[in-house]
Amino acid sequence: MVENEHLIDLKHICKNYDGVTVLDDINLYIRKKEFVTLLGPSGCGKTTTLRIIGGFETPTSGEVLFEGSEISQLPPYKRRVNTVFQKYALFPHLNVHDNIAFGLKIKKMAKGEIDKRVDAMLELVNLKGYGKRRVDALSGGQQQRVAIARSLVNEPEVLLLDEPLGALDLKLRKGMQLELKRMQQHLGITFLYVTHDQEEALTMSDTIVVMREGKILQIGDPKHIYDEPANAFVADFIGESNILRGTMVRDELVRFAGREFPCVDFGFGENVPVDVVVRPEDVMLVGEDVGQIVGTIRSVLFKGVHYEMMIDCGETTFKVHSTTMQPQGSRVGLSIVPFNIHIMKPMATAQAQEEAAAT
Amino acid sequence: MMKVIKRFYLALVLAFLYVPIVVLIVQSFNAGKSRAKWEGFSLRWYEELFRDPDIIKSLLITLSIALLAALFATIIGTLAAIGIHAMRKRPQSIMLTLNNIPMTMPDIVTGISLMLLFIFTQVERGFVTMLLAHITFDIPYVILSVMPKLQQMNKHTYEAALDLGATPGYALFHVILPEIVPGVVTGAMLAFTLSLDDFTISYFTTSPLVQNLSTLIYSQARKGIKPTMNALSALMFIALLILLLLVNKRTRDEE
Amino acid sequence: MTSFQVPGWGYVLMAVGFAAFIALLIAYIVVNRGFKRPVFASPYVLWIIVFTVIPCLLVAYFSFTDPAGNFTLDNFKSFWDANYNTRKGIDPALLQQYQDMGLSLDDLGLGRNPINIDTLVFSLWMAFLCTAICLLLGYPAAHIMADREFRLGPTLVVLFVVPMWMNFLLRTIALMSIMEDGGLINTVLNWLGFGPAKLLNTTAAVQVGMVYNFLPFMVFPIYNVLNKMDYQLSEAAMDLGCNKWKIFYKVTLPLSIPGVVSGITMVFMPAVTTFYISRLLGGGKVQLFGDLIEAKFLSTSLNEWNVGSALSLVMMVLILLSLGLLQKADPKGEGGGII
Repeated sequence: MVENEHLIDLKHICKNYDGVTVLDDINLYIRKKEFVTLLGPSGCGKTTTLRIIGGFETPTSGEVLFEGSEISQLPPYKRRVNTVFQKYALFPHLNVHDNIAFGLKIKKMAKGEIDKRVDAMLELVNLKGYGKRRVDALSGGQQQRVAIARSLVNEPEVLLLDEPLGALDLKLRKGMQLELKRMQQHLGITFLYVTHDQEEALTMSDTIVVMREGKILQIGDPKHIYDEPANAFVADFIGESNILRGTMVRDELVRFAGREFPCVDFGFGENVPVDVVVRPEDVMLVGEDVGQIVGTIRSVLFKGVHYEMMIDCGETTFKVHSTTMQPQGSRVGLSIVPFNIHIMKPMATAQAQEEAAAT
Repeated sequence: MMKVIKRFYLALVLAFLYVPIVVLIVQSFNAGKSRAKWEGFSLRWYEELFRDPDIIKSLLITLSIALLAALFATIIGTLAAIGIHAMRKRPQSIMLTLNNIPMTMPDIVTGISLMLLFIFTQVERGFVTMLLAHITFDIPYVILSVMPKLQQMNKHTYEAALDLGATPGYALFHVILPEIVPGVVTGAMLAFTLSLDDFTISYFTTSPLVQNLSTLIYSQARKGIKPTMNALSALMFIALLILLLLVNKRTRDEE
Repeated sequence: MTSFQVPGWGYVLMAVGFAAFIALLIAYIVVNRGFKRPVFASPYVLWIIVFTVIPCLLVAYFSFTDPAGNFTLDNFKSFWDANYNTRKGIDPALLQQYQDMGLSLDDLGLGRNPINIDTLVFSLWMAFLCTAICLLLGYPAAHIMADREFRLGPTLVVLFVVPMWMNFLLRTIALMSIMEDGGLINTVLNWLGFGPAKLLNTTAAVQVGMVYNFLPFMVFPIYNVLNKMDYQLSEAAMDLGCNKWKIFYKVTLPLSIPGVVSGITMVFMPAVTTFYISRLLGGGKVQLFGDLIEAKFLSTSLNEWNVGSALSLVMMVLILLSLGLLQKADPKGEGGGII
């Protein structure tokens, strides 16, 4: 990457609150017109990272570079970034038009110009004709649009969004996801998006940054993160996974669930303990005689698109997604292609699973 | 039956609280001097009241102190509430505890400690010292009225204003203040009322030359109650009652 | 119409302090290139320090010094023996002479005078009585108003809240006026044939005045707690077989304890510290601790201020103790704010 393509650089950012480390050596860059998502469970430091870029927090140490110049001590009103807050933070004493015009009025823009831009914004967020309404008379989704318009009208270089869809119901959220993506592409503005919803992250982002306990675990595009999780935590947090303890027998051969499986990973050494991750949809159900291992179906849940089955194979239980249903109690064969077996260095697997389950 | 007894009991307790006040107000309209005999309705004592230069002077002192104290207390208190609200937990709880001290301290101790301060710094007691004392006991109540309004605010509204380019000063006047105005007005009214109402602290922080109505009434009452004092007390009761009911209604409406 | 006095060096000090504060504030803003919201609280912090913290420290300072400013415990010894300072002021040789003549200290009126400590004990006793009476009168009243079926309850409570804020002096005067020799009560007594009774200037009159003034402070917190109590609790208790009385002492009473403790402190503290109630209704014949302190400070002798400060300090400690008690019994402040 060429340095000057970066719009924002975070270098060795640390943040402590009263001796508690919230961010621990965060290094991250954001390129122009990119849609970057900070993803992680609550308390992972993603919102703090956003607030440091917005100017609401000062890092304990480290640098924030904006187009190459250090801005970490700059107050929010001098930064060319704007924020969409979690609960919108609209000004209740101003109507929709005046909320959106707030930033422009501060810039002492001519009234005619302000009206023109506000109207254009209202149109962009599908709220044409709502200018005179009181903000507390709007629905949650509409308030959300006003909040976005209020930020975008200032033509920021970067729009920071802090779980902006968290307060909306599921259907509205899906619609807004698409709309946000559309706006971002239409306006060509860099979006930095914070969420704990992995599905949202996968849908919208160009780049996902997975965080946990103040550290970045993995950076990559959605497909990469889903297919090649860097460790068991990422695997478990993004999508569902079977995370198993195993032993790397030698290159391209791993032992778990009581037998050896061919895989594509190498370079771990011989007879080394590893974590094995298998996505539930990657376990194929085959005849009892042709499966690599055999198990008994303990439970079947209908999930809409697919069935989710828990299959006991001796000591190990696999979670399997399949579009065809097998009756509970029946015996099936399980088969996993080498490409779908992901091997990673062990990182206190059990602990990671517990935490992921808790969030 | 039980119900009747309960209500009768409640009526008795309320009568205990209010009969003296009602009697005092009625007496203030009595034409005669006697406390026991009703000699016809008259505004005589009220007329005398407004002809008494001492009382008029005290009235003016009381009102100007109450207005000025409410004004200063509202400014300092509102700013303080905004500041305290934005503090981190630790300093915030320290400030709130400090804020509680003047409210929990008995008036006599507040009065005496302020009196000692003025004596110690050789400031002669009078109008200014009384004003300072009133501002001191008013501020905590202003903070108490403004704080809930701040807590109701979305905590990110202020940040949103900064984010959109507002300086802290601009955000204070254009975003925070418009939202907390109801609380500020309640606080100012409360401060004004308390200042009108105060006796003990004024008593210790002023000189006999600068009397507010309460200290005047006290110095007169020690010699026995003149009918004009009835009229004055009655007027103050009515004024305070109206103010208190207004404040009470405001606080209820805001909740 | 207002008389402004000649500024003492106190005003100079205040001006200098204020200027220093402004300078510090500006320096802070310049150094930080802007300021954060907590800075808005700084004028108040300054105010608290000057008008709350320093005065309190001054009370402590005066308590432990003599008029010349030297450290001494004499003021507290005076608390035990009001003649202590007087005796100390007399030449010991002279005292010895008198004693040689066979006159004891008591004969000279210089013996131990327990008036200060006795007054404190008497004040505490009066305050205790007042609190007990308020609790007995107030709890049932609060309980009746908090009854969900009593629709007027929330309205009537306002009638208890208003006197809490209303000038105590005025209310005491109103009470004084009906208790006077020619007042309403005596008129009624006369009419009933019980003859005129001397009501004012008695200990009982002071006690009635205290209850009259502080009763609302007992009713309100108890009402607050009872009113917030989940009524389903008593329904549940009934469901589990409690009768009305059992519900009261097994459920309602224990749950209302925070309110009761709040009420007790809110009545007890002003009752210990009051001075004008006893002055007006007791006519100077009944002296409470507050009167004692007031008298010390209105006295022109400097020494008396030191003793008065010591007495105030004793009172402040008493109040801190009862506040601590309140904090313990009602940590969440369920008894409710004052408004």
